[in-house]
Amino acid sequence: MDPIIREIYDAILAGNSKAVEAKVPVALAAGLAPKQILEEGMIAAMAEVGRLFEEGEYFVPEMLIAARAMQAGLALLKPRLKEGNVQSAGRVAIGSVLGDLHDIGKNLVAMMLEGAGFEVLDLGTNVTPAKFVATVTEKDVRIIALSALLTTTMASMKTTIDALAQAGVRGKIKIMVGGAPITEVFARQIGADGYAPDASRAVALAKSLVAA
Amino acid sequence: MSVDASPATPAPLGKIRDFVLASPHRLAMPILSFPGVKLTGVSVRELVTNPPAQVAVQRLLQQKYRTSFMLSAMDLSVEAEAFGSEIRMEDAEIPCVTNRLVTDDAQISRLEVPAVGTKRTAVYLETVRLLAAKPTGTWILGGMIGPFSLAARLYGVSEALQDTLNQPEMIHALLEKATAFLLAYAEAFKRAGARGIIIAEPTAGLISPNAVVSFSSPYIRQIVKRVADDDFEVILHNCGARLAHLPATLQSGAQIYHFGKTMDIPAALARTPADVVLCGNLDPAAIFVGCDPAGVRERTAALLQATKASRAFVVSSGCDIPPDAPLANVDAFFDAIRDFQTSIVP
Repeated sequence: MDPIIREIYDAILAGNSKAVEAKVPVALAAGLAPKQILEEGMIAAMAEVGRLFEEGEYFVPEMLIAARAMQAGLALLKPRLKEGNVQSAGRVAIGSVLGDLHDIGKNLVAMMLEGAGFEVLDLGTNVTPAKFVATVTEKDVRIIALSALLTTTMASMKTTIDALAQAGVRGKIKIMVGGAPITEVFARQIGADGYAPDASRAVALAKSLVAA
Repeated sequence: MSVDASPATPAPLGKIRDFVLASPHRLAMPILSFPGVKLTGVSVRELVTNPPAQVAVQRLLQQKYRTSFMLSAMDLSVEAEAFGSEIRMEDAEIPCVTNRLVTDDAQISRLEVPAVGTKRTAVYLETVRLLAAKPTGTWILGGMIGPFSLAARLYGVSEALQDTLNQPEMIHALLEKATAFLLAYAEAFKRAGARGIIIAEPTAGLISPNAVVSFSSPYIRQIVKRVADDDFEVILHNCGARLAHLPATLQSGAQIYHFGKTMDIPAALARTPADVVLCGNLDPAAIFVGCDPAGVRERTAALLQATKASRAFVVSSGCDIPPDAPLANVDAFFDAIRDFQTSIVP
């Protein structure tokens, strides 16, 4: 690994946004390709963050600051990625479903997906089925990610999936679901394409859904 | 010896922990309030705003299931609301905090610690007072949020989690204020007649064990030292804690611990001293809401089987059972406990 990219990688693992912001321009000035910086320095670092979380070495705070550091670097890299026509891993629209104001799980998944190279449209909380439908129609998303923290709001997941079907766009997208009360069984019952129990495994799920 | 959901005779006065350790029966203490609204027809909103409504539900639940414990409802918005946080209140949902009350050092410094009894803290104190005024031979337990979870709600959960790493001094400053209020609140529950308190600290399940040692356990220990005695016990609830969190969580000094689905209960029982009581941990959403009664019975029986060798265990839900959990599932939980025939190895 190039030493400057290694520094970016290590800074992301450490959650050091300032170091990432300092090193990305250095990497670009050294002539390193934006795609290489993204893939080897940032996406690889976030994959390691996910592994450390699954191993029980990193916890939610460590994931959050690593994701923020990655976002800080990505903000500097994005214009150059666009110039170079570097494609994202796919476009994902994510939101907490209608009636649900909780966002920490959704935020973490959004950051981890972005860290894995996906383009993420964060629709926020309390998102209506109509808003999800409009987003699919207008923004050409590959994946819809639905989050719910309450047993009383998880029913909105099925309502959303039904609305997407009624709008005739269900076949164009994959739907993944998650949140504290959600289970694999529930995901199958409502017609989702996948369920992830945490933000790290949400990334693996999203990758498998775009590859399918 | 058979296990029973509750003893036929009124619970003796004395420590909960001693009673559990001496009991020939497997005791049950589900975090059960909100599904009880179906028994009286009140809304969740009424339950969390009207002490007589909550008392009526708690009494009916105790009469129906003959438990040794009566709990005030687990509502983790009450204390933040007292500080000034905005709350979303719906008829059928447990209230939740919707804003960040403080965002920096200066705001934390200016934050006033409210008086006990501010806003709906009065509801829960009055609920406990009314329950305690009519003894039924059960332990009356108050409930409140833990210091770190309260600080996170005041500051924003994501932001608080990040700043345990980026600005720990600020989080500690906020924890001092949160704990100051909770110390007084716990004392007020004791004066109201509670025999103990459940401190709910779910946000501590999201941080590392080292962070629990820094940001949660010392503050809970302050509360334990202030209020715990032979007539009042502290039950620490952390539904996000895993086995790795156990040593750090035990540093709080609480007498009884209540865990959620993420905890390996049999392994935890093997790692805690024989006089430390653990409770838990049937998944409230997946089991009490998501299963049918047969499934609830099966999962409860499996947990009873896995823990039968230990006296120091109280079977429970892993967290509060949601309002939409069918009462038939709660019935099945208690049926499974009554039906489970085993001996508890001394």
